[in-house]
Amino acid sequence: MKTKKEKVLGNDRRDFLKLAGVGAMAGGAAVLGGAKKAKADAAEVPSGRGYRETDHVRKFYRTARF
Amino acid sequence: MPASQAVSDRTIGAELSEEDACRSALYRLLGRVLVAPPEESVLAALAELKGDESPLGRALNEVAAAAAAPQDLDREYQDLFIGLGRGELVPYGSYYLTGFLYEKPLAKLRRDMAMLGIGRRENVREPEDHVGAVLEMMAGLIDGSFTAPVNDFSTQQRFFATHVEPVAPRFFADLEKANAARFYRPVARVGRLFLEVEIFAFQLI
Repeated sequence: MKTKKEKVLGNDRRDFLKLAGVGAMAGGAAVLGGAKKAKADAAEVPSGRGYRETDHVRKFYRTARF
Repeated sequence: MPASQAVSDRTIGAELSEEDACRSALYRLLGRVLVAPPEESVLAALAELKGDESPLGRALNEVAAAAAAPQDLDREYQDLFIGLGRGELVPYGSYYLTGFLYEKPLAKLRRDMAMLGIGRRENVREPEDHVGAVLEMMAGLIDGSFTAPVNDFSTQQRFFATHVEPVAPRFFADLEKANAARFYRPVARVGRLFLEVEIFAFQLI
């Protein structure tokens, strides 16, 4: 049960980061060396994901001071 | 089997995820342009950045546009951070937290650096709590450059809460409003937006 919960939490975090614009940066970041140990596809723009609203993203933009 | 796969994804030392690689890259990028004005090769890399249509992604696109047409960055850097006597901003954690350089927050950072196997380069003479240096340390904690293994989120979270969160968001807000900021204005926006995302994301761990 705990394992399942952890999996969901981990995915929530990664999904949130992706939808908040972290994970969709291509190009220069890899050149700057930050992505050196990442998987081969790390520097590519995730195709077809883009910016979508999810509960976390909605909550984030409600609470953040943009 | 999916369950064991999920465990190994979150096991310390496992492979760096795409999102965490990007976090590390963003910290490194912000740190790099704050510790010194970016040279040609860094500007060329920054000009290649392509964000998505999120607020952070749009700010990254603004940095890319600014990096493609740089105007006297050395002068801008000088006016912002160095100046005659002092620049418009004083980019050190100790100064932000106490109003003075070389105070307790620096001692605390030095202790944590020693614990985490973070050294400083020989030729660096400024105090270690320069905002740019601290952001570079975050990059290294994420990508496994120091003793903390990849995916050690509790170490990342502790370091962030102690040394990044009390200083860097205020610093970026000040930088975004600084009179001398041109190239550094979208940089500051990226920093501010990214750290807001980070603060929220740490709550999901």
